[in-house]
Amino acid sequence: MTRSFGHEHPGAMGFLTDATLCIGCKACEVACKQWNELPADGDAALSARSYDNTGDLGATTWRHVAFIERVATDEAPFAWLMLSDVCKHCVHAGCMEACPTGAIVRTEFDSIFIQPDICNGCGYCVPACPFGVPQLDQDDGRVHKCTLCYDRLRGGLQPACATACPTDSILFGPVTELRSIGRSRVESLKERGVQKASLYGDTSLGGTNGIGGLNAMFVLNDEPELFNLPAAPSLPQRTTGPAFLATLLSGACFALLGAAAFRATKRGED
Amino acid sequence: MPKKPLDDRIRDSPRPHAPPIHRSHWGWLVVAYFFLGGIAGGAQVIAALAALVGGKKSAGVARLARYVSFAAFLPCPPLLILDLGRPERFLHMLRVVKLRSPMSVGSWTLVAFGGVAALATLDQAAADHILPRGMLTRRRGWWSPLTAVTGLPLGLGLAGYTGVLLAATAVPLWTKRGLLLGPLFLASALSTAAAAIDATAIATGQRHRGWAPLRRFERLTLLAETLLMAAWLGRLGRAGLPLASGPLALWVHHGVAGLGLAVPAVLGALAPHLPPKLRITASAVALSSTLFGGFVLRWVLVVGGNRSADDAGATFEMTARPSTERKQGN
Repeated sequence: MTRSFGHEHPGAMGFLTDATLCIGCKACEVACKQWNELPADGDAALSARSYDNTGDLGATTWRHVAFIERVATDEAPFAWLMLSDVCKHCVHAGCMEACPTGAIVRTEFDSIFIQPDICNGCGYCVPACPFGVPQLDQDDGRVHKCTLCYDRLRGGLQPACATACPTDSILFGPVTELRSIGRSRVESLKERGVQKASLYGDTSLGGTNGIGGLNAMFVLNDEPELFNLPAAPSLPQRTTGPAFLATLLSGACFALLGAAAFRATKRGED
Repeated sequence: MPKKPLDDRIRDSPRPHAPPIHRSHWGWLVVAYFFLGGIAGGAQVIAALAALVGGKKSAGVARLARYVSFAAFLPCPPLLILDLGRPERFLHMLRVVKLRSPMSVGSWTLVAFGGVAALATLDQAAADHILPRGMLTRRRGWWSPLTAVTGLPLGLGLAGYTGVLLAATAVPLWTKRGLLLGPLFLASALSTAAAAIDATAIATGQRHRGWAPLRRFERLTLLAETLLMAAWLGRLGRAGLPLASGPLALWVHHGVAGLGLAVPAVLGALAPHLPPKLRITASAVALSSTLFGGFVLRWVLVVGGNRSADDAGATFEMTARPSTERKQGN
């Protein structure tokens, strides 16, 4: 995605999704599906023991409202944890680095976008995402995920989910602004006794593991794992260089072994 | 009050258990490609070594190795194309060069390898008078060294990049000890390639004097594979759970370790003491066993990886914050 549209670079835009404000209404899921013309997930049946009916992010579910029943412990009482999960639009994105076709690009809004006319459905980005976001659509043979409503942003509109959210649990804006809003929200939560409050995706997350922070951040009120989020994931492609080197070195050893094995014939063996 | 471990709280929590990462869609097409691509690459490496250092005595090995390599290569592109969600867009693989993406590196390697393998086969066919005399046969002088010098690195690349491809994901089984996967794939590619060449020689009645170096190399690669496999399996922890229990564990023990590594080793050690007639039978069993084990290795790796991706505990074990940081955070 070049900047040849005549737009000035607007800087990184993203989401701040606040679990403490989410009421689980799923307006974001619906708005997302309507704007992006995504099919419904089955017959909207609720999953076994929860009000969650989409279950997971997927090829046709780009916002997923998780309903988590937190069991009572000595530290905290029983609670409903609700969170609208979405693509994290990583600063260094595993899916984008894995993509062999160049279909996955970074837009002028610093969001990660899969070009549907390029993707050939190799599916490598799927296991390469540390957050389990992109998914191969078995029906149309391509991988899909949240686009940060690229088409709406180009037209000066906010993403559909952020527009629909009735409690401002989903905020859209410049990442720097969202980060300071998120940090002060976490401070305020901690003052009010939510000791586990954290800003998931602040540069502290993954900053040392290669991901370098998330453009879609989350205010959490318990451990990330309870929200099905990895606490300190790594950029998978940090392995690429060392793994190629290890393979190369072992390859050289095998070549030498082979050369020794074949060399011996010249001395008249066998 | 002792704090309840996080793992217990996750298990207790009756949430809809979606794994935190998504599994790959790869199945038998990719498993077959990993196996055949390994043989193609490994055989080209053996052809190059036999041609470059083996001298005239190894010309027979080099000859068969070139044919085996090309034959194993031919199904590879169709297998990969069929695995795409949009097979008609397979050429999009060659839109860009991305060194950070092992699949991009692999796509380009496969294309270059195919060219070299085809050239090496044409060269060999000309030498064997299968091709009519003409331009091909007259210009042969510089073909052989060229295909050997380029086939060696490209063969190693094709056989090994698949391990790097798996390592550079978020899947616990593939990434936990990911540095060993490339070398393990290489070792298995070379041992299965040597077995495929040797088996072809037996089947076509060409195995006689001059084949000792190949058998020696076969034993060395099997030994390396055994060591790498032990090193890799040894410290996988929770990530290795799909291979440590359940049906896949049986395949690892009996298929990969038993048939793939132990049976060829035992039969190889026994062979010199057997009567000549039994020796060929023992070899045939050992070689099929090696090939079978190599295939099972790719299969358990792909299937086991997909299962470990479904295991939230394996992912969370690998992505846990350092305990000191967690304490401070609390």
